[in-house]
Amino acid sequence: MGEHAIDVKNISIHYRILNSASVRGGFWGKKKRNLVHEAVKDLSFSVDRGEVLGIVGKNGSGKSTLLRSIAGIFAPNVGEIDLHGYTVSLMALGIGFVSRLSGRENIMLSGMLLGFSEKAIREKMDEIIEFSELGEFIDRPVATYSSGMHSKLAFAITAMLETDIMLVDEVLSVGDSRFQKKSFAKMRELIMDVNTTVLIVSHNMETLRSLCDRVLWIHDGVMKEIGDTETVIQHYNDFMNK
Amino acid sequence: MEEMVNSRYLLMLLVAAAMLLPPLLAWGEHIYLRHGDVSGKRRVLYLLLYFVLIHAVVFGAAHVRGVRGLSLQTVTLTYVIKHLGFGLICALIAPFFCCLILESDITPHGFQKYGRRLFKDIRRYSQYVVRSAGAYLRAEVVNSYLDWLWWLIEPLCMMLIYTFIFGYVFGSSEPNFSVFVFIGLIMWNFFSRNVSYSVNAISLNLPIITRVYLPKYMLLATQILVNGFKLMVSYGITFVMILLFRIPLTVHILWAVPLLFLLFLFTFAVGTFLMHYGVYVKDLSHVVGIVLNMMMYLSGVFYSMNRLPAPFDGLLGTFNPMAFLMSAMRDALLYGTMPDWGVYFGWLCASLVIAAVGLYTIYYNENAYAKIS
Repeated sequence: MGEHAIDVKNISIHYRILNSASVRGGFWGKKKRNLVHEAVKDLSFSVDRGEVLGIVGKNGSGKSTLLRSIAGIFAPNVGEIDLHGYTVSLMALGIGFVSRLSGRENIMLSGMLLGFSEKAIREKMDEIIEFSELGEFIDRPVATYSSGMHSKLAFAITAMLETDIMLVDEVLSVGDSRFQKKSFAKMRELIMDVNTTVLIVSHNMETLRSLCDRVLWIHDGVMKEIGDTETVIQHYNDFMNK
Repeated sequence: MEEMVNSRYLLMLLVAAAMLLPPLLAWGEHIYLRHGDVSGKRRVLYLLLYFVLIHAVVFGAAHVRGVRGLSLQTVTLTYVIKHLGFGLICALIAPFFCCLILESDITPHGFQKYGRRLFKDIRRYSQYVVRSAGAYLRAEVVNSYLDWLWWLIEPLCMMLIYTFIFGYVFGSSEPNFSVFVFIGLIMWNFFSRNVSYSVNAISLNLPIITRVYLPKYMLLATQILVNGFKLMVSYGITFVMILLFRIPLTVHILWAVPLLFLLFLFTFAVGTFLMHYGVYVKDLSHVVGIVLNMMMYLSGVFYSMNRLPAPFDGLLGTFNPMAFLMSAMRDALLYGTMPDWGVYFGWLCASLVIAAVGLYTIYYNENAYAKIS
């Protein structure tokens, strides 16, 4: 393939662990330095256009942080990420909605934040609503949704509004078994598309085996291994079972 | 004779207050904003710095205004009160700038870089801001029984309460007192709602901020639009009231437009600052609540600035932007006179500077906001 879609060069990402501040503490509190936690340390890799890269690692090893910084939510402290002008979206668990607004409004607003025009979103609107299986709930405030409905809507928005690069963070197991099958099929369809580059974070090795071209293993923010799916997963499983 | 002694005593007390209070306020604020990140030696240094800085500014301003040869024997009460007032305002503002300059190394190159991004982001996100403001307004309407009538009922009820208490119980002699109160009240509501929202803006929108990138001040802009729409509805009522009370309409009504522009700009400028500090200082909202309350009583929502004793009226009308805006708006709508353009442009420039520095801070620190979860 050759043509790179993502170039990650020597990035490090720090979190400042803030001391909670208050008025009283400001005047009488002892001086405490803010601690720095390094979530990702000097990481470099490239992903080809149309490639599917799986990311594995134990909890808290910096996988989600990496995805969020590729999605542009925050810039790395050191190094750079080059997306070669491709559009990117992050599909993650947890709410990205304004709970007071209806599902329909949230589709529109999320789409606009992903960089789509109002017209493009309106064209996809029915498709998204149908895929999310929300029915009449689509016009009620998101606050009234169950957690399953939340995730379905989130998945439908990012899956239907296709961007060049899709970052998938543990969302392939949302909803009931029927929706899971459907979302898996949709995911597969996106992955088959040679124009879509996908990064998947998952703890489900079967999923990764069936979808990924290559796998990246991160351990405590450092790249442990990158390469052929079978080999890396084998090494990772051996490591975790030790 | 005794009265003379007493007033002399009071004067000295005020002189001491004017000398000490502003630097102490600024110093406390600085330590507060840096949330305890200042070492012992520096604390002393900052106190001295603020003492010199604030008094240099105040004496400098006095010198420009033609006050010469001050000494303890000749100093007047008016001057001391002016010194104290201006000093306190400087003290309230200075630490924000000092903290900013010390925290996020402001450079001309940075201004250039963020300036370019500002224009790019405005083009990219303005549609989103308008759309989400519309969605918020619609959601408010859908979720309450009285629908959009609340936007009219709420300020009208507040007006009735204030008219009753200050117009009848305390017997204010302002002509058309209810319109008078209403104009002040709607402007004040707009300002205070946006300001108290801005302190919590980041934490309220954390679900969005941690999922997708957006310039954080757009959240503030959305809220300003939402409240701005309600303000416009209230101005519609004002207009009806002006017609009902048969207040003569003049061409000076047009000054409302530049005055509203300044109100929006000033609110946005203050909001950007508080938005940044609200992320790091968790109980800032309590402090802002108290300051807002104090500011409301000093802004003349339900009294006219002209009724205050001599040194205060001009001082508050000039140095409290909300007081200036309210009285200028009343002048334009009710009394058919022009605003004081000198004060107007002074606050316009001040707002632009504050907004520029505030936007700079938000751009500079935006990575940190998304990581607080």
